Amino acid sequence: MRGAMWGDWRDLLRIAVRIEYPALMSQTSQNFFASGPLVALCGWLVPGSGYWLIGEKIRGAVVGLTILAIFLGGILIAGIRVVDVPGFDNLGRASYVRLEQDSQGHVRENKSLQPDKESSGGWQPIGAWHWTLRAHPFPDIAEKPWFVGQILAGPICLVAASKSVEVAHPVSPDETISATPSSHARIFEIGTLYTAVAGMLNLLAIIDSAYRAGQGAGQ
Amino acid sequence: MMLPLAYQLFLDPMPLWDYWPWTLIPLALGVSIVYKSMKCKSMKTVPREAAAITFWILFGMISAAAVLWGIVAIVAKV
Repeated sequence: MRGAMWGDWRDLLRIAVRIEYPALMSQTSQNFFASGPLVALCGWLVPGSGYWLIGEKIRGAVVGLTILAIFLGGILIAGIRVVDVPGFDNLGRASYVRLEQDSQGHVRENKSLQPDKESSGGWQPIGAWHWTLRAHPFPDIAEKPWFVGQILAGPICLVAASKSVEVAHPVSPDETISATPSSHARIFEIGTLYTAVAGMLNLLAIIDSAYRAGQGAGQ
Repeated sequence: MMLPLAYQLFLDPMPLWDYWPWTLIPLALGVSIVYKSMKCKSMKTVPREAAAITFWILFGMISAAAVLWGIVAIVAKV
């Protein structure tokens, strides 16, 4: 009788060990405090931080570190010049446009790397110089569509873009060769692929984390 | 003009011209980890699932390369 009772207790103990109690609220994703747009914005600013905000810290860390590793891997493989910034030429010079008119009333758009330079051939300016990316952003970005993918990786892309433009300048102003030439062919393609894929993955992470935030995270 | 000849990390491209196909592996692994981190309910299952999907990505890419190589070889003979 006594042996049978101890046997029952042992069975109960075995069952109790198997029971998985729900984690505390503070340990789960239930303690999210962010709205979808805020999660999306943070997810862009720091990849993976959207998950962090909704309480999924491990998921956020894994996603964020992997995305950053892929982006930096692309720069490591192809060099910093793989971030090819719209609105700048191969030597890191900003390009400008302005509208000009001749004596017969014809209008043209003059594109120049030196906005201080006077027009020639009887063309008179009828507008101010504007940076091409600001004057007509879509055609400019369409020339370098991979930048759209890259920028989705977050401000790290802006930092890389700034550095890319900086090192692209020639050693002296009269030179026509960049101080840090960009890579070519396969290596450039692979670097572009890495950096753009990192951005696209971050977009997926942003959408997923914002959706989870909207759904009440973890439900 | 003086150009620096020494390799500068993160500024100059890596000398991978003869080994570029190997760069597929870390990319496939990274994509798999991020994708499975989003898909899996529990993060404990991510390593195994990511390893599996990495294998299938690589298998698919190698298969596609083999098929394309075969087509090119046939077309070149004709």
